Amino acid sequence: MLDVKDLHVSVGGAAVLKGLTLQVPRGEVHAVMGPNGSGKSTLAYVLAGRPGYEITGGGVSYEGRDLLALTPEERARAGVFLGFQYPVEIPGVNNVYLLKAALNAVRKSRGQSEVDAFEFLALVRDKMQLMRMEESFLSRGVNESFSGGEKKRNEILQMLVLEPRLAILDETDSGLDIDALKIVAEGVNSLRTAERSFVLVTHYQRLLEHVIPDRVHVLVRGRIARSGDRTLALELERRGYDWLLGEAA
Amino acid sequence: MSADARTGLAARIGREYAENWAGAETRSGAERRQRALEALLSRGLPSSRDENWKYANLRCLERARFAAPHVDSSRQISIATLPPAIAGYARYTFADGRLLEPAAHSLDKPSAGLLTTLAAETSAPALEALSAPEEADPDTRFALLNEAFAADGALIRVPASGGAAARIELVFVSVADAQSGASHPRVQVQLEPDACLDLIERHVSSGSGGGFVNSAVQVALGAGATLNHYRVQQLGARALWFDTLLADLAARATYRTHCAAVGAQCARSTSQVRLSGEGAQLGLQVVSVGDHHQVLDGYARVEHAAPQARTQQIFRGIAAGRARVAFNGKVVVRAGAHHSDSSQSLRGLLAGPEAEIDVRPQLEIYTDEVRCSHGATAGKLDESMLFYLLTRGLAPEAAQRLLKWAFLEDVVARIEIAELRRQIEASLAGQMRAADALQELF
Repeated sequence: MLDVKDLHVSVGGAAVLKGLTLQVPRGEVHAVMGPNGSGKSTLAYVLAGRPGYEITGGGVSYEGRDLLALTPEERARAGVFLGFQYPVEIPGVNNVYLLKAALNAVRKSRGQSEVDAFEFLALVRDKMQLMRMEESFLSRGVNESFSGGEKKRNEILQMLVLEPRLAILDETDSGLDIDALKIVAEGVNSLRTAERSFVLVTHYQRLLEHVIPDRVHVLVRGRIARSGDRTLALELERRGYDWLLGEAA
Repeated sequence: MSADARTGLAARIGREYAENWAGAETRSGAERRQRALEALLSRGLPSSRDENWKYANLRCLERARFAAPHVDSSRQISIATLPPAIAGYARYTFADGRLLEPAAHSLDKPSAGLLTTLAAETSAPALEALSAPEEADPDTRFALLNEAFAADGALIRVPASGGAAARIELVFVSVADAQSGASHPRVQVQLEPDACLDLIERHVSSGSGGGFVNSAVQVALGAGATLNHYRVQQLGARALWFDTLLADLAARATYRTHCAAVGAQCARSTSQVRLSGEGAQLGLQVVSVGDHHQVLDGYARVEHAAPQARTQQIFRGIAAGRARVAFNGKVVVRAGAHHSDSSQSLRGLLAGPEAEIDVRPQLEIYTDEVRCSHGATAGKLDESMLFYLLTRGLAPEAAQRLLKWAFLEDVVARIEIAELRRQIEASLAGQMRAADALQELF
């Protein structure tokens, strides 16, 4: 599904990713953990195509295609979804409009017709119920005056509606209380299938208590310092990152 | 505009005045008009050297006639082409500044008795512009021009009451071409204490859309009165629009004005609002979208002259093509206007490499204990918003269109009259050349 090979990325002339290699097979959930400044968010942004990141080496293949050659919207239409760590507020555009425009953009690229307005609302209401979101949310501006938890739930709602093949969730668990964390985890789990892969970028292991990962990778100073099964996350919880920082140095 | 050109203009204004009012100078208002003309001719029209006029295009006046057209404009407009009426509002339509014959209206308007016309009024009050303080003087000279030439207009007086708001819509239709005659729409609104009025004021074109419109609006709000004023300028693409709004607010009066400007080749709107009474409140919202070679210039001067007055000023402008869109918002807090609270949020969006946006907040404070904030930005679309939409699969052009829309809608959404809001949104979307693509949003 996703094959990152020896990826080198600079931001403003400073090297952030320094030879990152990562494979995420179809249907698996991989967690990418690491201390602050290790390059986790850079990885998420580079996979989604954010401008301002210079690829200085290596490459990324997604379902056999060169992911880095695609524009952000082409990646989205090809089934890549980025759940933002800090979802952007867009006052003046309401949520329901964005959801519909996004779904129709993806459908159009697949040669499908635009979604029927009635079916669309039924679909969105169904997903909103799962995320425990109120109806009034639909007419509010995108993320406008949302609490941190509402913004994260909104990201997951968008993911549920768009049904991506590869979801990259960048610190979706940060800033959530335990109830919101469970709701977000339920949303993620509801989409787990043998066809769909996830990259969960996270600082803590608590999300991984609710979304059980197949693999855990630790990113230190721009490279994967260690990979393992879910017990690695527990070990990190117990020991912190310092021992890996020592190893990476 | 050179000094010679200005002298030439002044001479022409004098000649056209004499011709326009020949034989009518014994009629009501003659003295008022004459005083305005004299004041105007002694001071001259503003020039681009005047501080607040550097963005306005004044050269376009050289091709305009100042006096009324010779032909009867009322015969040349079709009621069917006017914007759809808003339910609950009594509509009065003016052709080149003159009220259409009552036959064209429903006679039993709910606002009957509140509105008289300048033509019928024997003792209409003079525009405040005649006695404008020196520092504000160049900004009110187009009001003097209006005073000198306006033959008709709407005089609205709402008596003191605590009851429901009166609702009136004024539609000023510009018919004649600028070369053959001007339209001088005139509105005077007087609200007695605690009176409420919802007023829609539109400026539209009929025919070729190349008229010269010089409107003047004077607002006087009594203590505790409330005026919601919706001003829509959607003149034709070749029109010239000069506009002066003068308002005075007594204690606890509330004035909310929502302005949308999309039309005209050259447009200049000047607003002067004085918060004279303690606790007066002003909300001034302006949305302006220019394209092609349009010049849309706005200037608002708000004066806090009493304690505890509040102002919120918001401007959103987009310039595309080779348009120039400008807004200069000035707030003056006088000595003694303690606990004034003023906020300004002025934002311009550049939507083309050859377009120009200028936003300028200005503050003059002559007292202590005030809270004045201002924010001004002029630039391109927010990159992080754009990226967010792209990651959701939207095409770049669709994402940009949506963000431009959102930029305006953030303000337009505050217009409470749903039908009017939809009409304004449709007009803005049309001006953004995206009427079809954005239709679902309004």
